[in-house]
Amino acid sequence: MIKALDLRTPWPWLSLAALVVLITFILYPLVNILTASFGVGDVENGWSRLLTDPRGLSAIVNTLILAAIVTCTCVLIGVPLAYVTARYRFFGKSIIALLPLITLVIPEVISAQTWLMALGNNGLITRFFRDFGIHLPSFYGWFGLITVMTFVYYTYVYIGTVASISGFDVHLEEAAQSLGTSPARSRIKVMLPVILPSILASALLVFTMVVGNFAISMILSNQLPLLSVVTYQAAVSEGGAAPVMQSTFATVSVVMVMLILFFNRWIVSRGRFEIAQGRGARPQPITGWKGAAIGLAASFIVVVSLVPLAVIAVGAFTVSRGPVMQWGNWTLANMERVFVTAPQPLVNSLIYAGAATLIGVAFSAVVSYLIIKKRNAVTPWLDYISSVPLALSGTVLGIGLVVSFNAGWLPLTGTATIMVLALLVRRLPFGMRSAQATLYNIPNSIEEASISLGSPPLRTFFKVVLPMMGPAIASAAILTWTTSVSELSASILVYSGGRETLTIQVFRLIGSNLMAYASAYGLVLIAVILIPIVVATKVFKVDVFASK
Amino acid sequence: MNMKTLISAVMLAGLAGTASADEKTVTLYSSNPEQAIEAVAGAVKDKASDIKLNSITGGSGVLLRRLEAEAANVQGDIFWSSSFNTVGAFEGVFQAYESPELASIPEKLRYPGNLFTPSNVHVVVLMVNENQLGDLPKPKTWTDLLDPKWKGKIVVADPANSSTGYTVLWGVHKMLGDDKLKQLAANVAVSSSSSAVQNGVAMGEYAVGLAFEANAYPYVDGGQEEIKLIYPEDGTFITADFAGLVKGAPGGDAAKKAFDILMSKETQTELLKTSFRRPSRGDIEVSKIVKLPEMSAIKVFDIDEKEAATQRNAFLDSWRSFAAAGAK
Repeated sequence: MIKALDLRTPWPWLSLAALVVLITFILYPLVNILTASFGVGDVENGWSRLLTDPRGLSAIVNTLILAAIVTCTCVLIGVPLAYVTARYRFFGKSIIALLPLITLVIPEVISAQTWLMALGNNGLITRFFRDFGIHLPSFYGWFGLITVMTFVYYTYVYIGTVASISGFDVHLEEAAQSLGTSPARSRIKVMLPVILPSILASALLVFTMVVGNFAISMILSNQLPLLSVVTYQAAVSEGGAAPVMQSTFATVSVVMVMLILFFNRWIVSRGRFEIAQGRGARPQPITGWKGAAIGLAASFIVVVSLVPLAVIAVGAFTVSRGPVMQWGNWTLANMERVFVTAPQPLVNSLIYAGAATLIGVAFSAVVSYLIIKKRNAVTPWLDYISSVPLALSGTVLGIGLVVSFNAGWLPLTGTATIMVLALLVRRLPFGMRSAQATLYNIPNSIEEASISLGSPPLRTFFKVVLPMMGPAIASAAILTWTTSVSELSASILVYSGGRETLTIQVFRLIGSNLMAYASAYGLVLIAVILIPIVVATKVFKVDVFASK
Repeated sequence: MNMKTLISAVMLAGLAGTASADEKTVTLYSSNPEQAIEAVAGAVKDKASDIKLNSITGGSGVLLRRLEAEAANVQGDIFWSSSFNTVGAFEGVFQAYESPELASIPEKLRYPGNLFTPSNVHVVVLMVNENQLGDLPKPKTWTDLLDPKWKGKIVVADPANSSTGYTVLWGVHKMLGDDKLKQLAANVAVSSSSSAVQNGVAMGEYAVGLAFEANAYPYVDGGQEEIKLIYPEDGTFITADFAGLVKGAPGGDAAKKAFDILMSKETQTELLKTSFRRPSRGDIEVSKIVKLPEMSAIKVFDIDEKEAATQRNAFLDSWRSFAAAGAK
C-alpha cells in the first residue's frame, strides 16, 4: 500500500536523500557504462563490433555454458551434503560446520594456485595417474575451471539449503508416509517443493558468481575466451578514454545477471509455500558402514576445500629466496613483514572495511525501515536500486566508478573515499537483505503503541525499532565486514598508491610469484575475517549464517 | 577491547602511517615485480628521506591507460617501465626529461627526444626445467624448438597482452621467417601473462618457457637446481625498458629527484643484485655482481623497434591465425 507523501514527518525527506545517494553511486556509474557501449566520440558502436567479433561472441557462449555446468555440479554436491548434515549425525560431522567459513576466507587466487599444484601438468595427482599410464586432460580450460569453481562455490548452495532442510517440518513428511507414500517418494513429493526455492536461489547465486568470476578465470582460462577475461582485457587495451568494448561486455554481463535475477523472482512468486514454524527433524545418528561412508564422503569434500588453507598456513612460515620456496625450513620473517616492515595493507584493510561496514549497516538499517515500514512513492525505487549491485560483477562496478568519478564534478580518484565506496556499494545488498528480513517480523502495532504513547517517530525508531533489529544488524555487519575485507575485483580497479588492501597485496605478490609473502598476507587476511566471526558467534551468540 | 577503542586504535595506526609534516609524496606506476619496487623505494628512502614513494602496480598496458584516463586529474609521477612499442603509444601523457644520469646511458638505447629514459635491457632466454625434459635433449637454438616432439612443452606469453611475448615472437618472425614461426606456433602453449610463463616452468607445468632473463633468473638464484637459462646460439633478442616522467606530475621537483635516484648507478646496481635487471647504463659490470654473462658474450639478433611497433596489428593478426592453426 502506497500512501501519498506526508511532508510533515521526516520519512519522505529521508527517502529522497537516500534516493539521491543511491542514484549517484549506483545508477549514475551504471548509466555511464551503458551509454559508453554505444560509442564514444568517433569510436564505433560496441554492439555492431561485438557481432563481428568471434572471440567476444564465443566468450559469451563459453561463460553461459561454464556457469550452467558449475551451477549443476555445485547443486549435486551442495544439496546432498546439506541433506546429510541436516538430517543425520555421523562421525566427522563437526568439521562440516567449518564449511561456510571456508568460502568466505580463502582468496580465489590462492585456491586456483593450490589446485594447479595438485592437478596441473606437473601436479601431484597428475603425476600419480601418469605413472599408471593415465593422462588427465589439461587443467587449463574447461577441466580446471569447472573443478576449481565447483569446489569454491558449492558451499553457497550448501549454506542456502541447509537452513531450509533443517527448518522443514517433518510432520508433513510423516503425514505423507502415513497416507501410504513411500519414504523416498514422500521426500520428493513433499519436501522438494518446499526446499526448492532456496536451492534455486542459491544455484542462481552460483550462476551469477561464475559469470562475474575474475581471479580463477584469469589464472585457468588460458586460451578459452570467457566474458570476465575479455572484459578485463578490453579495459586494459581501451583504458578510460574511449571505454566502448569494455562497456559493451560489461553490459552483456549485467543483462545476463539481471535476467537470472528476474527468473529467480518469477520462480519464487510462482510456487510459494508458507510453512508455519514447524518441528524440524532431529538429526538421526547413522552408524555402521553406511555412516562411515557418508561421513567419509562428506569429510572428503570438506578436506579438499580446506587444502588451500593448509598451503597458506604452511607457506606463511616457510623460508623463501625470491620465488623459490624452501619447504621444510621455517621462519617468522614473512610475518614480520606483514606486521612490522610493511603493515600498510593491513591497516588499510581494517580502515576501509571498517568504514564500509559502519556506513553500510547504518544506511541499510534506515533504508530498509523506510522500505518496509514507511512506504511512499519513492521507497520501491530504493528497494530496486539498492539491489542492483547484486547484478554487477566487481569488474563492472570498478569500471563504472572509475569512469564516473575520475574527474568532473566529483573527482574521487586517488582518495580513500573511492576505496570505501567500492566496498560499500558492492556489499550493500547483504546488509539490506538482513535488515529487511527482520523488519517483516516486527509487528507495526509495537511501533504504533510507542507513537500513540507520545514518542515522536524518530525517537521511536531509535528506541523501539532499532533494538529489535539488533541481532539482524549484527549479522549484517559481520557479513558486510567479511565480504568487504575479501573484496578484490572492484577495489583493484580503483586503488591508488599507498592504498592497497590485504587482498590487493596478495594479488600483487602472487603476480610477482612471491608465494611466501603472499601466504603471510593471506593468512593475516583470513585471521582478520575469522576473528570477528568467532567473537560474534561464541561471545555474542550471533547467528551469522541464518539465511531466513 | 570494545568497538570504539578498536576503531580509534586503527585510526591512530593509519594516521601514524601516513602523516609527517613536510614529507613529499611521489607515486610510481610500475609494472615491475614487487622486489624491484622495494629496492627503488629503499634507495629513495636512503637518498631523499623527505620523499615518500608510493607505488601502484599492474600490467604496463593497464597503468598507461590509467595515466591517460587520469590526464585531467594527474595522480602518478613516474611510470616504470615498458618496451619501446608500448610506451610509444602514450607519448602524450609524458614530458621530456633529461636526467643528469642520461650521460652514462649509451646513445643507441635512448628514446628520441628523451621523452622516455631507458632503465634496463631485457634479454630473451629459454628457461628450461631439466626435470621436465624427459628424453628430449636440452635445446640450444630456436630451430631446435621447431621439432614436433616439443608440442605442448613450451610456453610463451600472449603477444597481444605481454611485451615479453611480443618481443619473442616478433624476433622469431624476423630471424626465421613466418614458416618457422608457424611451426613454433604448433608447439607452444600461450599463457595470458608473462609471470605465468616463469611460474609454469618452475612448477614443472612446461619444460621450456620463452622469458626475459631478469624474470627467469630468480629461480636459479633461489636455488631451484633443475632450472637453467639458455641463450640461443643462433642469436637472441633484446629490448630496452623505458621509464618516463608523467606530464604535470603532482610531485614536481620531488618527482624529478626520485626519477634521478631510480636511474642512478647505485639504484641500478641494487636492482641488478635484487631483481637481476641488466642496467642500461654502460658503467656497471654485470658479471662481477651477479652470475649472468656480460652483454658482449651474448649473441644478439638486431631488431628494429620502430618496425616492430608500426607493424604490430598486422603481426598480431597473422600470429593469431598461426596459433589457431597450430592448436589443431
